[in-house]
Amino acid sequence: MAIVGKFGLSEADLRKRDQARQQGSTLYRGWLLGATAIALGIIVLILGTILVRGIPALSWQFLSQPPTDGMTGGGIWPQIRGSLVLMGGTFAVVLPVGVLGGVYLAEYAGNGRWVRLVRGAVTSLAGTPAIIYGLFGFAVFVISMKLGISVLAGWLTLATFALPVIVLNTENAIKLVPESLTEAAYALGLSRCQTLYRVVLPHALPGIVTGVVLSSGRAAGEATPILLTAGIYYRSGAAPTGMEMLRKGTENLPYHLAEGYRQGGKIPEKTIWGTCLVLMLLVLVINFAAILIRARARQKQIA
Amino acid sequence: MEALIYASGGVVIVTILAVVYYLTHESKYAYERKFDYGYRVALQPVSGQYEKDLSLDPYATLVTANKEGLDGLDEKEETVPMPTLEELSGGATFGTGTPLSGDLAKVDPSKLYRDDWRAQKPANVGQRFLVFGFATPEYKSDKMAIAWAPDASFNSELAPFDLHLRLVRAPSSVTVQPIDIDLKRQPEGRMELPSYVATSDEARTEGYVFALEATPTSSTAAAVSGGIFRSEWDPTGSYPKFGFVPLLMGTFLITLLAILFASPFAIATAVYLSESAPSRVREWVKPVIELLASVPTVVLGYFGLMLVAPFLQNTLAKAVGMDSGRALLTTSLIMAVLLIPTITSVAEDALRAVPQSMRDGGEALGLTLKERLRKIVLPAAKGGLTAAILLGMARAIGETMIVWILGGGAPLLPTFHGVKDTVGNLMKPVTAAPDTVAREMGNVDFQGVHYGHLFLLGLTLFVLTLVINIVGYRLGRRNAWQS
Repeated sequence: MAIVGKFGLSEADLRKRDQARQQGSTLYRGWLLGATAIALGIIVLILGTILVRGIPALSWQFLSQPPTDGMTGGGIWPQIRGSLVLMGGTFAVVLPVGVLGGVYLAEYAGNGRWVRLVRGAVTSLAGTPAIIYGLFGFAVFVISMKLGISVLAGWLTLATFALPVIVLNTENAIKLVPESLTEAAYALGLSRCQTLYRVVLPHALPGIVTGVVLSSGRAAGEATPILLTAGIYYRSGAAPTGMEMLRKGTENLPYHLAEGYRQGGKIPEKTIWGTCLVLMLLVLVINFAAILIRARARQKQIA
Repeated sequence: MEALIYASGGVVIVTILAVVYYLTHESKYAYERKFDYGYRVALQPVSGQYEKDLSLDPYATLVTANKEGLDGLDEKEETVPMPTLEELSGGATFGTGTPLSGDLAKVDPSKLYRDDWRAQKPANVGQRFLVFGFATPEYKSDKMAIAWAPDASFNSELAPFDLHLRLVRAPSSVTVQPIDIDLKRQPEGRMELPSYVATSDEARTEGYVFALEATPTSSTAAAVSGGIFRSEWDPTGSYPKFGFVPLLMGTFLITLLAILFASPFAIATAVYLSESAPSRVREWVKPVIELLASVPTVVLGYFGLMLVAPFLQNTLAKAVGMDSGRALLTTSLIMAVLLIPTITSVAEDALRAVPQSMRDGGEALGLTLKERLRKIVLPAAKGGLTAAILLGMARAIGETMIVWILGGGAPLLPTFHGVKDTVGNLMKPVTAAPDTVAREMGNVDFQGVHYGHLFLLGLTLFVLTLVINIVGYRLGRRNAWQS
């Protein structure tokens, strides 16, 4: 009562003020909710539109036939195949280097000045624009190593693009392994190597695999790095097979869309929506696969 | 096995160094630039009919050192001899130019070829181009004038040399003051001269002799470095211009607008998810938002092109005028969509890193949600929230396909004359640095000057995003409640 008197406020004033505060808070909550709803709405709108507009274009023929009539008809099978080839190869190239590199940073490198610098550099490279990797791949793989516009150059470029993310991700996953586990392993007389294989890696595996799969997926959807290194829009004659395939460029979904735009939009709208949907689904399926792998591994660990 | 791990660590380190090395290494080709120049010089009558626009004067001499040559010229014309008086009869005060070194006294007019500039010699500094000036007998009673003007888009300010138009020799029959015109100070002009009439073909070279001379003022490297700060990007013109300003301005505008559009929603979503949403809601909403992060940007670009651009064009065209749906506004809107998941995700992590005890303390003091957030949680997470916006910026700066598809591909330098004009900038096409690199890299001369400049532009982008990423990363790690 004394405080109320001191500030010249009656109890009614205080109650009023309290009410205003509560109201303000409710409004605030409403604003947060509204903004979230709008953000979510935009996302659902975009994903929904691509789904709704893309589905009518889908058919077995669309997925299994090459384009015809100067890219205006037919299907997009070579593009899908090319995307899968690029993604698979990238995955194979980057997986060992990225994961072992992450293990190196987490377990072997220590925390010296140089290592901190390298770690900082890896972190920064993870946020470096894709076009920089495109330039790099063009100068190094296409030109200096004389690979030309080829699947091989595309693999290496995309692997460089995905590498920093995978290294960081692996390092983080390993650092999340509880210290008590490694200490217990050492206490049991296991060597550093044995600890790594028997304890640390199995525990960190779900996180590592998720990271690798996710960044391969992102690499598969990115058009920029392959613009200058692996993409071809139109192929005359049959697709090469075997080793020859690696020395030649390949059609692929993101490049098909990007180059189709550059060439002046001859592709009918329906086909574009269909291609967008297929590309989106490809990436989403990979993401779901990553989530599944993670969930499986978690269950196994608990069991 | 340990060896393999060390080897992989080595590969990672080598990769990092290689990226930096190659970007720098290929940029050096920008510094092999040779600066070209082009000037038109004409001898004209003073009182008779003459062409004021020198590019239309058939008797004007184009003194150019442009290794690319000029459009529309027939190579066969390279060896057109200097016209004789007979050929010139019917009029004309005449000057003709030739890149000539050696003794002036030994010049043989029959060996002079008109317009030897078509030999496409590079603009070596110190090279001297001569213009011989005389009047045909028909112009006996008239005075003559020398007129000069730069070729179409040539701008001597860019060049690392001074250009001078000098009178090297006057005909013995007249007395004139020495002439020495600094073309940087006086890029175009016209000056009267006492007439010199050539009465025979031999006398064509015995009249006025003017020289266009280049004297070095700074190093080529300095000129190249200075050139990238200029406000025109025209890499394929007769006199290429490699100013990064319009491209980086496009990057800046798109990034700024996208952040302005995206961050209120993204931060509010992050705050809602971390502070107010029931855990069930969060479990659903967060993956949906992250789903968007995995949509390829080329798909987002096409979404904007096929739906947003026509929509904006139809609704805004009447109100403010919009030539095409491909504009700064469209690009920034779609870019904002791309940024929502990035910013939300990082911001939410930052908010969740604020210790629960701080919120509990606020609640124990009877603070409402709004007060808890504004007085405790948001200030505590300030660094992380700034980091979220910075990382969003880095993403927007580097994004290629959205700008490529939606920007319209023309450089934009915004103007601010009143409200309408300022808003009008939103409706103009725009191009940014990454999409320019992607678009032009496919058709450049390998390891040429343009190629070098694209790498230099890439290096600029790399450094820009590097700095932003490092600052963002540091801010994200440092938390206010710990300091």
